[in-house]
Amino acid sequence: MSMSDAAAAGTDADPLGPGSMLYRLTRQARWGLVATRAIVLEAAHPQIGAALITNSTFVAHPWRRLRNTVLSSQRMVDPDARVRQREAARLNRLHARITGTDAEGRPFNAADSEARAWVVATLFESTVTMCRLSGESVDGPTLDRLYAEFQAFLALMDPYGGKLPPTVRKFWRYYASVVEERLENTEAVHIVLDRLFAQVPAPPLLRDRPAVWAAGRALASPAATAVIVASLPESLRARLGLAELPGTRTLMHAAYLSTRLATRVLPEAWTRLDTVMTVLDPAYAPQRNGGAPAGLPLLDGLPVLDGLRRGAAKAGALLRLLTPDPETAADGDSALRSASRFFSEVLDQTGDGHLDWPDLAAMAREIATRLDLDAQDEDRLFAAFADWWRELQKELDTDGDGRITGHEYAAAAAAMAGSALIRIAEVLFDVTDTDDDQVIDAREYQALFRTAFDHDPGGGDAGERLTRGEFVRRFLGFMAGRRHSGGYDRMFAQA
Amino acid sequence: MDGNGQWAAQRSLPRTAGHRAAEAAVIDVIEAAHTAGVEWLSLYAFSTENWRRPAAEVDVLLRLVRRAIRKHALALHTRGIRCRFLGVTDPRIPPALARDIADLMALTRDNRRMTLTVAFDHGGRRDIVEAARSLIRDGVPPEQVTEESFARRLPHPDMPEVDLVIRTSGEQRISNFMLWQVAYAEWVFPPVLWPDFRAEHFWECLEVYRRRDRRFGGVQAPAPTGKGCR
Repeated sequence: MSMSDAAAAGTDADPLGPGSMLYRLTRQARWGLVATRAIVLEAAHPQIGAALITNSTFVAHPWRRLRNTVLSSQRMVDPDARVRQREAARLNRLHARITGTDAEGRPFNAADSEARAWVVATLFESTVTMCRLSGESVDGPTLDRLYAEFQAFLALMDPYGGKLPPTVRKFWRYYASVVEERLENTEAVHIVLDRLFAQVPAPPLLRDRPAVWAAGRALASPAATAVIVASLPESLRARLGLAELPGTRTLMHAAYLSTRLATRVLPEAWTRLDTVMTVLDPAYAPQRNGGAPAGLPLLDGLPVLDGLRRGAAKAGALLRLLTPDPETAADGDSALRSASRFFSEVLDQTGDGHLDWPDLAAMAREIATRLDLDAQDEDRLFAAFADWWRELQKELDTDGDGRITGHEYAAAAAAMAGSALIRIAEVLFDVTDTDDDQVIDAREYQALFRTAFDHDPGGGDAGERLTRGEFVRRFLGFMAGRRHSGGYDRMFAQA
Repeated sequence: MDGNGQWAAQRSLPRTAGHRAAEAAVIDVIEAAHTAGVEWLSLYAFSTENWRRPAAEVDVLLRLVRRAIRKHALALHTRGIRCRFLGVTDPRIPPALARDIADLMALTRDNRRMTLTVAFDHGGRRDIVEAARSLIRDGVPPEQVTEESFARRLPHPDMPEVDLVIRTSGEQRISNFMLWQVAYAEWVFPPVLWPDFRAEHFWECLEVYRRRDRRFGGVQAPAPTGKGCR
């Protein structure tokens, strides 16, 4: 469905509900293209760039980040206004925790109103750019209506903060002035363009076949970068020192046109974002969320998704069975993993080679997001992680530089079982033990793994009843790098 | 699938050579059953008691199973064979093998021409105990426990009762194989060792089965459904 069709079909009463253009857009696969282009524009904003670079895990875990972003943006336009409010409040809490100073000593704050308005502005502008480049007309009333929806989106996220200009005309002036005056050649932009695309790890579907993924990525990554770069504003491209290579404009038009053709010609279910996510990550299943986020709609065309998921699972299984197995040699070390491997796979969430607060904050964020914690539990969880960070610094930061290297961690990990880590485990236990009987029974255990870890523990584990002590012991075992855990690995270690 | 060790000993080869030779028999029997129109074929590959064998032999066995799965996955799939495993719960099973098993099951799950169940790390008593445990866990009142409701708690409850069990190498024991499902099974004990067992031996066993008069304790003989190869 094109944007103008969507505009005609909608009602004016609710700018963000199922009748809105945004509602449809955030369910289409090409929303991924919009979000990716927008992130480059966001990264060039000094405040956002600094927050991205110091706190974000998107380079090390882009697929997880994409999945969280997709779910979040779909909740922000949920038919149920309570779901939207709840998600906005969650995003606000999440962003309020991301503060610091950048390399030049300037403070940044992810909850800054001007920065947030810019995020919504880039999404709006990228949507319009996508439509125009793919030959779709968005003019007059359609554009006004789309703009009004993005304004409502910002108002929901930041009710007392910054606003976008009142009209579309004024918006373009605002947009041009931010591009001219505010955007900089930040490190974050180059990380997105050079590292994110060139080094993006395999999606879950191809995780076991790095060679296949690397071959595809070697072709696709320069093309993706070229398409994004070519669609950036001319003056920004010059400031970022990004030359336009011959042919990239044609490539860009071809890319955008084909997304439009795909959206128009292919069956609607195929170009849905959920469908694409499902193929890439067979565990991605928004409708299986066990009711925790209160009202992700049961998607129409569920059999299509199920069929696709099965198809993707089969294709993945066949691929793995038919291609030589790279891991035969590693058969033996499954139960034990070295502390340094654990450090790079699990603890170093931002992938910068050392452990500091943003890494731990990213873990806390991941747990809070997946378990959909309320404000109180989330505060407890973050407080426990903050205590753990202080404990780690005190015990492991031998050279006193405020961060912990893999070496420092490996040297002391064995002796670690601090009281702060136990508190983290206890918070996890409390939010899982929904009936407060101090035992995690089969149902609660399955709920934890299904909603939080997208993992069916299966019959073998399902009958287990975990006491508080046993639960804490297992969590500590995992965090000390002493044992694998399917669920925790899935949450933290995967890209 | 008995007689691998004996087969190797007769040829002054290590026991593992017998296991290697068994692969050809497995493929031959699957093909034979497939052509004969058998809809349910079960193979007893490894029992819960087999873990007691020397570690080196177990290790080779696990590798062989993995290699066989990877080698024959596509052929099994294209023949419309649904592959399932019975057991496979022991933590000693290497993760790579467990993943291949899961992949083979995922790949072939929608096939319907024949269902091949490989009992691997299987114990009939353990399955019964597990079913009993799940009844108790769910607090099912004793009067509601019937043979049918109990059977639904066993792994792969859609599997019909076993009609015929073939145990090679002349051994005449049950050895903890699908204890619940073999209640009314007919048994055939061909003397041939498993690595020598071929399609014609399988057809002979089917012929023996056809001549048997199955009464299930009564007087009538219902139509046959499943086979087991022990």
